[in-house]
Amino acid sequence: MASTFLFRNAGKTIPLVAVIVLAVMLISGIVAMIDSIPLSIRTIYRYSQQMVGITPRGDPAQTPIIRDRIEKEAPVPLERVMVCRATGAQVRSIVGKWPFVVLGLAREDMTYYLDRMGSRGINGRLPETGKAEALISEPVARNLGLRKGSLLLGPVQDGAYSPEEVRVVGIADTDEWLMFTPIEYQRAHHFPPIDVLLVFAENLPDQAKLDNWAVKAFKGERAQVFVYQELERDTQDMFKILYKILNVVIATLVLVITLMMAMLMNIYQSQRLPEYGLLQALGYTRRQLLSRAFGETLVVVVGGWVLGLLVAYSLLLVVRAQLMTPQAFALDPLDRMAFIYTIPIPVAILAAGALTVWSRFRRFDPVSVVERRLV
Amino acid sequence: MIEARGAALLYHDHGREVYACRDIGLRVSEGEFLGILGPSGSGKSSLLYMLSGLKTPTSGQVLVDGIDLASLGDEARSRLRLERFGFVFQHPHLLGYLTALENVVLGASGSGDRLVEAENRLSRLGLGDKMHRLPHELSGGERQRVCVARALMGSPEAIFADEPTAALDHANGHAVVDMLRQERGGGALVMVTHDPSMLDGADRIVTLVDGCLGEAAVAARPGIEPGTC
Repeated sequence: MASTFLFRNAGKTIPLVAVIVLAVMLISGIVAMIDSIPLSIRTIYRYSQQMVGITPRGDPAQTPIIRDRIEKEAPVPLERVMVCRATGAQVRSIVGKWPFVVLGLAREDMTYYLDRMGSRGINGRLPETGKAEALISEPVARNLGLRKGSLLLGPVQDGAYSPEEVRVVGIADTDEWLMFTPIEYQRAHHFPPIDVLLVFAENLPDQAKLDNWAVKAFKGERAQVFVYQELERDTQDMFKILYKILNVVIATLVLVITLMMAMLMNIYQSQRLPEYGLLQALGYTRRQLLSRAFGETLVVVVGGWVLGLLVAYSLLLVVRAQLMTPQAFALDPLDRMAFIYTIPIPVAILAAGALTVWSRFRRFDPVSVVERRLV
Repeated sequence: MIEARGAALLYHDHGREVYACRDIGLRVSEGEFLGILGPSGSGKSSLLYMLSGLKTPTSGQVLVDGIDLASLGDEARSRLRLERFGFVFQHPHLLGYLTALENVVLGASGSGDRLVEAENRLSRLGLGDKMHRLPHELSGGERQRVCVARALMGSPEAIFADEPTAALDHANGHAVVDMLRQERGGGALVMVTHDPSMLDGADRIVTLVDGCLGEAAVAARPGIEPGTC
């Protein structure tokens, strides 16, 4: 009978469901958009998951010493240790520009690196040895709006300086974010004159073990270690305060929505007192009526929540397709955290609804209804 | 079957004690048509609600098959009303979002084929072609007939009718009473009214004045019992 009432009184049911749908949509939308920032960080710098970067500190002559130690002491089999140079460029995110490293690599190292990153091919070619040429990956091209022949680095490029114009000659078909130039070009034109080591474990599952070892082994030494886990940790720390603020905002939203819903439900339950009074007079027990009223509330709240999740998911899909993907911004329409944040809505509304129904039934006299003193 | 022993119902109205009924001694036998007659405000409805377990006497007892209703819990009293009693109220209270048929089904508990019985009841009351209509699509008389059909569901042992003709014209009122009389089977019918003409065919009529079973208001009629107060 609960569903009968809800379906045959769509004028009353739909506004209740709509409020919940909007609330769920709003909260999951906000959380998913905020989550897209750390997700972007993880996506853009994910390439570093596949290796550990080690750079000497204060003395460029340390590089071969560090290399020697790694090759002797690494706790896992190594597949490759490559020397590279690095210069900076920028990529765009929804919160502004972020730094991104342009790796200077030998041609054979570029090939290895692309294989390691699961590249499915190159649209164009690899940069020629020593030339002012660059290879970028497909997400980078989308993000910066670059094509073959576009300028990646140059004398007048803010945040992507190079004394010569470095143009894109190839776009790698991979989901990882990459920018390569020939190591000889960087040695000839870029500062500082330091060779950096990139160390790849033979088996990808061993990479984290190698990373941890490197962090411990070079602690206090004249070397700086760059590992993906540190990026993860830094990202989490960076967003801790933001998430605290988000919790306060969402708690306030839930409170406002719950109060509003409780008021609406109170009005609707008041309108239905004649019905409950009649049924109680006919012989339906308080427990039966309470469970019926609670069942209806449950259907509205859970239905609204599920519908809200579906609508939110659909909208996030549209936002991703229309706004984010064309610029390679990351957004997860199935963000687990975004949906977890919506759980307080049905729980709080259900509690408020149950309380409203219970308080209505507590001192309820069916005779006053059948005698029309309450109608 | 149903017996009131010194039953009274006391209200508090702005700090003042008001008796709706007092010292009621009355017995309703199986299959009996009992009329309760009295002017407006005499406590007829309160007496009916006490006899049917909708109100608990503030003193005295109401017994059903020897069991004091006050000794039963809220759930047990509700079950008793649904399984053994039927009700017709002054106003044709129906759930507006349910059809006539669905409203009638509400009148009995879960056992048996309630839908078939409800269809039969409505057909016998002349509403066979309107059973799928919503209450607002029915006239006042038709709505009250739906209420009668609902009260008859499950062949209750007693039907309590509280001024069931008050909201109807004379002809419709008589039709409703006739239906209650004819269709109740072996069940008792306890009907409250202020209109003596509606009690034609009653086995017994008692009068109520100021909450007391009092002197016969229509003493000329045979079978009217004066009460004591």
